[in-house]
Amino acid sequence: MRQGRRWIRLLAIEAGALVFLLAAPRFLERGTLNDIWNVAFAVILASAWNLLGGFAGQVSIGYSAFIGIGAYTTALLALKGVNPYATLPLAALLAAAFSFVVGLPTFRLRGPYFTIATIGVSEAVRVIAGGVSFTGGSSGLRMPAGSFDFNSNYAAMVILAVGVVALAAWVKASPFGQALAAIRQDIDAAEALGVNSTKYKLLVHALSAAIVAVAGSLFAINFQYISPGSVFDFRLSLSIVLMPIVGGLGTIAGPVLGALLVGYLQIKLLSSPGLRDSYLFIYGGMLIAVMLFEPKGLLGLLLRLRRFLWRFPSRPVPDAG
Amino acid sequence: MPADALLEVRGLTKHYEGLLALGGVDFDVARGEIFGVIGPNGAGKTTLFSCLVGAVTPTSGTIRFRGDRIDGLPNYKVVARGLVRTHQIVRPFRDMTVEQNVSVGAHFGAGRRRREDAGRRVAEILEKTGLARKADALAGTLTIGELKRLEIARALATEPETLCLDEVMGGLNPSEIMEAMKLILSIRDSGVTILMIEHHVHAVVGVSDRILVLNFGKPIAQGPPSAVMKDPEVISAYLGEE
Amino acid sequence: MKELTAILVNSLLAAGLYATMSYGLAVIYGVMRIINLAHAGVLMLGAYATFTLNSRFGIDPFLSLAAVIPVFFGFGVLLYRTMVRRLPRSQAGPSIESLLLLFGVWLVLQNLAYAIWGGDTQSILTSYTMKSVSLFGVRVGVPSVAVFAVSAASLLVLQLILRRTYLGRAIRAVTQNRDAALISGVNADRISAVAFGIGTAFAGAAGTLLATMYAFTPDFGRSFLLKSFCIIVLAGMESVAGVAAGAFLLALLESVVGGYTTLPTSFQDALSFTLLVVALVAFPQGLLGAFGRVTSRHRSIP
Repeated sequence: MRQGRRWIRLLAIEAGALVFLLAAPRFLERGTLNDIWNVAFAVILASAWNLLGGFAGQVSIGYSAFIGIGAYTTALLALKGVNPYATLPLAALLAAAFSFVVGLPTFRLRGPYFTIATIGVSEAVRVIAGGVSFTGGSSGLRMPAGSFDFNSNYAAMVILAVGVVALAAWVKASPFGQALAAIRQDIDAAEALGVNSTKYKLLVHALSAAIVAVAGSLFAINFQYISPGSVFDFRLSLSIVLMPIVGGLGTIAGPVLGALLVGYLQIKLLSSPGLRDSYLFIYGGMLIAVMLFEPKGLLGLLLRLRRFLWRFPSRPVPDAG
Repeated sequence: MPADALLEVRGLTKHYEGLLALGGVDFDVARGEIFGVIGPNGAGKTTLFSCLVGAVTPTSGTIRFRGDRIDGLPNYKVVARGLVRTHQIVRPFRDMTVEQNVSVGAHFGAGRRRREDAGRRVAEILEKTGLARKADALAGTLTIGELKRLEIARALATEPETLCLDEVMGGLNPSEIMEAMKLILSIRDSGVTILMIEHHVHAVVGVSDRILVLNFGKPIAQGPPSAVMKDPEVISAYLGEE
Repeated sequence: MKELTAILVNSLLAAGLYATMSYGLAVIYGVMRIINLAHAGVLMLGAYATFTLNSRFGIDPFLSLAAVIPVFFGFGVLLYRTMVRRLPRSQAGPSIESLLLLFGVWLVLQNLAYAIWGGDTQSILTSYTMKSVSLFGVRVGVPSVAVFAVSAASLLVLQLILRRTYLGRAIRAVTQNRDAALISGVNADRISAVAFGIGTAFAGAAGTLLATMYAFTPDFGRSFLLKSFCIIVLAGMESVAGVAAGAFLLALLESVVGGYTTLPTSFQDALSFTLLVVALVAFPQGLLGAFGRVTSRHRSIP
């Protein structure tokens, strides 16, 4: 059973990573742990987005809305005295509900038209969030003092990251995942075989929105201060899209690779003043390069390399794990 | 007309922005029949199938399947009730293997409640359609003949009561056509009612119990092959096409 | 009544600019079924180019159009030849790859602008920027009128090109029915290059015009891009008149909202975004004509 071996391999990697990451606070410094936190955040966002964008093929450039929903739900409730971690399920639920409201009309659109609609929606959300007073307006919100403990937040983040990757692998292998793949490749043919494409698109959208919202909540807890500019940012939506695309759209490892690369780049960029303003160049350049030369991203590149090294040019390598 | 027809179509009409694709089609299909649909190019045959399965909403008319109205239902719901079609221009999921393609049909068609033995059903269908050896090949690598068989296999995986085949013999050589006819007959023998659109008139005449002839979206003849093929209107419709 | 006239006049003036801005997007989509997100970057670049010509060489923005239009046309052709042409051709309409590629180009253009001109808000001031004139009893700024005049002229020229030249007819043919046009001997590659050039030239010119009326930063293309989408989605793009009508509709809506409600301008942007989504979803056929397979309910034969 080829499938069985792949599962074991995946689970082993995941378990190993989890153990290592959870033990890390004992021997790594705070600075490195922060970096790991950032990368975990990126992995969660990228993998969750990939469920809709990569598996189902619906590219949404509006995911910062869900981060915002998570962050604001947690912040607002925390300010009312609720334990921040207890707000996570509600944040997930609200994001799922919002994704449903957005998805119902927009999933009638195909391909790029859907994408444009999502840009429109997320911009509208950002503007409204900045203008409404109960969200603290454009000046944002500060979390109540004492609500922050790095170690538990770090642990939550790491567990979520590993969990999302495992979830993605499980979805991909399930009939649900097959339906999504069919929808991505030929939505009419999928419907012609009994797949209710709208239902599955809405479901996967809700699932990934919920996950992203939880990450947003953890973000709020970690950074203690949020504003529309920080969580509803279009650039955030952009990097979320960039990571799986650069790494390998629709695969399991792709978003992780993309998150590592873009996360690493982001850290490097922010720390050297000369490059800080060049992130648009780099993001834009990466998008252009990927689209022109290797639409399957880093993973596609690696697969091509592997095929070349093994010299089996005629045998098609099935979708990597 | 059989009293308890499996499929009943009345007054089926479809307009496309000024173009009349179907103009009032009536026919019945009995359980276990092979019902042929022929006509010159552009006669509206594929549009008819699209209306039947809900890929396209008819402008007017009714479609009854097993006694219930299905006109206006979306495609996936019609498939769930046991009516499915293949596409004239094949639409395989190119990035998935043959087995995965067929398995989509198995998991989401009328047979979707029986998830547990989906794997077995898929294997059986692959056997039956001669695709077992290519089970792990990516659909994008298949020949046209294999792709046509894949279309049929996928549709079969949905466990249909009625299968609509749209020009499955297009582009096949004579021996492939013989194979296809054998396959169609064996599908019928397993209890599936079949509607088939075909350009190869001889093939259709050979296997069909009854035939409907369309021209410019309107039915011009209906009945057993022997009668239909002698109908002067039918002959002139086809001759006019030359 | 005075208010109504004011709204109508202002809408009309704005509509000219919006139409010019949108047409660039429409022609590229019509001919190649590509959604050009770089349009926003080109708008912005047009504005900055005009700014530089004005602040460094003292050239009047309207005069600089003479340089902007050909240069941007060339830029568009270059963009097409080096990048767009290499994309895998997708059979079933616009592809996500072209969308993302041009998105990438937009980002690069933005960064270019930041690098060259910095992120501060810029604007162009000329001797007539602050002057106003009375039109049908309504006081309007001189720049608005000039912009409208130029826009109207450019659209008329465009209409002439489309109707009277071979190139124009080829463009219309490909927009309406690509396969038929190709069979009739139209050189797809050349037409695509020209279309991209025209689209970019219009965007650049629109940027110039925008610069005479608004302040700008490297980020400012985005809301205009969304407005353009809104317009071509509402109007389809087979006719210049259609785009003009759509532009007027949007401008009117904005004027009415701005005139009768107290919503801040940023909310007006949210309005166009929402309208865009509504337009995309609610008008699958009819108004959208040539937009083809926008929603799942629309199917062509069979």
